[in-house]
Amino acid sequence: MSGARAADLLERELPGAVRRREVGFGEESVWIDRDALVAACTLLRDHPDGVYTTPVFVTAVDWPDREPAEPRFDVVYELRSLVHNDTCRLIVQVTEDDPNVPTLERVFAGMDWHERECYDLLGITFTGHHDLKRILLPTDWDGHPLRKDYASFGEPIAFTHNLEWALPAAERPRDMPGSTR
Amino acid sequence: MTALPPFGKPTIDLDPVSEQYEAGREQLGVEHGLDSVDLVQIGESTMELNMGPMHPSTHGVLRLVLDLDGEVVRECRPDIGYLHTGFEKDFERHTYQQCIPYTDRMDYLAPLFNNLGFSLAVERLLAIEVPMRAQYLRVIMCELCRIASHLLWYGTGALDLGATSAFMYAWRDREKLLDINELVSGVRMHTSFIRVGGLLADVPDEFYVLVGEVIKTFPKLIDEHERLITKNPIFRQRTVGLGRLSAEDAMAYGATGPTLRGSGIAYDLRKAKPYSSYDHFTFDVPIGRSGDVYDRYLVRMQEMRESLKIIGQAFEALPDGPVNTADRRVALPPRNELNTSMESLIHHFKLVTEGMRVPAGQVYQAIESPRGELGFYLVSDGTTRPYRCKVRAPSFSNLSALPHMVRGELIADVVAVIGSIDIVLGDVDR
Repeated sequence: MSGARAADLLERELPGAVRRREVGFGEESVWIDRDALVAACTLLRDHPDGVYTTPVFVTAVDWPDREPAEPRFDVVYELRSLVHNDTCRLIVQVTEDDPNVPTLERVFAGMDWHERECYDLLGITFTGHHDLKRILLPTDWDGHPLRKDYASFGEPIAFTHNLEWALPAAERPRDMPGSTR
Repeated sequence: MTALPPFGKPTIDLDPVSEQYEAGREQLGVEHGLDSVDLVQIGESTMELNMGPMHPSTHGVLRLVLDLDGEVVRECRPDIGYLHTGFEKDFERHTYQQCIPYTDRMDYLAPLFNNLGFSLAVERLLAIEVPMRAQYLRVIMCELCRIASHLLWYGTGALDLGATSAFMYAWRDREKLLDINELVSGVRMHTSFIRVGGLLADVPDEFYVLVGEVIKTFPKLIDEHERLITKNPIFRQRTVGLGRLSAEDAMAYGATGPTLRGSGIAYDLRKAKPYSSYDHFTFDVPIGRSGDVYDRYLVRMQEMRESLKIIGQAFEALPDGPVNTADRRVALPPRNELNTSMESLIHHFKLVTEGMRVPAGQVYQAIESPRGELGFYLVSDGTTRPYRCKVRAPSFSNLSALPHMVRGELIADVVAVIGSIDIVLGDVDR
């Protein structure tokens, strides 16, 4: 089972950090506390039972209809241990109003670009990142395209019956395609 | 494969003149005075230089902002995104089979690997095992594609350093592999040959002739390539000791593939996490010693030979049988059933118009592409379209280590280092 090693290690060494564990399709995911993220990753990297030294990626999954029962974004981290030949998945949940997670660039040098990409496409802010700016899109781009409320194609056209389409993206009603509110 | 040594010994002798290689620059007569560390101290002012995005050696549209002190690079800031196409967003409004052609266009030099990674991820969510013949054909096609990709890297990498003839020979041989792509799928590059549940179609008879010819002739052709470059003193002076990446740094930056193995770590997903029956074949994982440009060159040249070994074994043992799964959640009903069964007709219609339904859940499927770990993190919500598909591109992580590798090197050597990490900008930007 991929990821069980990391989950066991975290539960043993940082018992307060683990919120939930879930197994699916031969992989184990661990939901951890946002405040414990840096400590958890440092532990996974340095502990001889973990040695998760390689960052694989960080991304986020947007579930806009989930709030307020559960936070809107799943920030997903995948780490790899070459010594134990294992991959683990950590998930941190953040809300729409406070999409911040602490940066991991000082734990894994390679997280730098992946965090910038996640900020660029999903609008997750990585607090403490030395240079958090867009990486794939132009710097003056409006909105974060991989959010579910970002229209994927088509230019909105305003007619007399839908004048709100002429509004700039930031002023459009919240449930409207293209709205960045 | 469990007990894989992360810091292993080289599995095969990489270089017949290894003593000379070990000694590195001294034996080659490169003076210490030329070492970058001394030059960094010259002068107080730096110059900012734009390299690219339209520069022949950046292999696409990559812009580097270089802070130069004389000819020495003090800082390098890559600027990417010129080829960003939003494929991940496109995935979310297409059915699973419709996503396959999009994956072709990400890493356009290794399209079959992208097909394979995506298909394997969906098949894992569906809990489908494709027939053995399809698995073997996937391996053969992927390894042929790996050789084609490495040949292109070899040709352009050598061209960047002024070896024009190598480029011609590499193109000559790559053409033979593209002919096989054309034969099985009708197109030379964006094949979409590997689909969810199996393959586009079984291979025609001529396939056996062409692949048999590749197995027979390519070892000699690779020898020919190596004779041109491997012991060439000019090439060695340019590359030995250049762009070093230590094993620890390679891991911390998430570098994978030949970039990681050049630094001496024998980690290959084909051995570490076998997929598509790679565990049926015996092959070695070549690794380098010091992680410089020359090591990465040697690793890739050896990998082509290892790929040929895999192709030979898979070709010999290629089983008979279907090339597509019989699982009706994915496979279309056979044509003759449609004449008699209304249910089959409805099912056929639903599969074509709506697409297959994939159980809800999340998987991360990684495969070893020519550039490293290509991963698909797929989240399904139980409908006919992916809810979210994150592509973990090997070139993206490898390129993020570039500033670390070129800091303190000469500007002319930046070209050699970019060539050695073998980036594809379509893969970086997606």
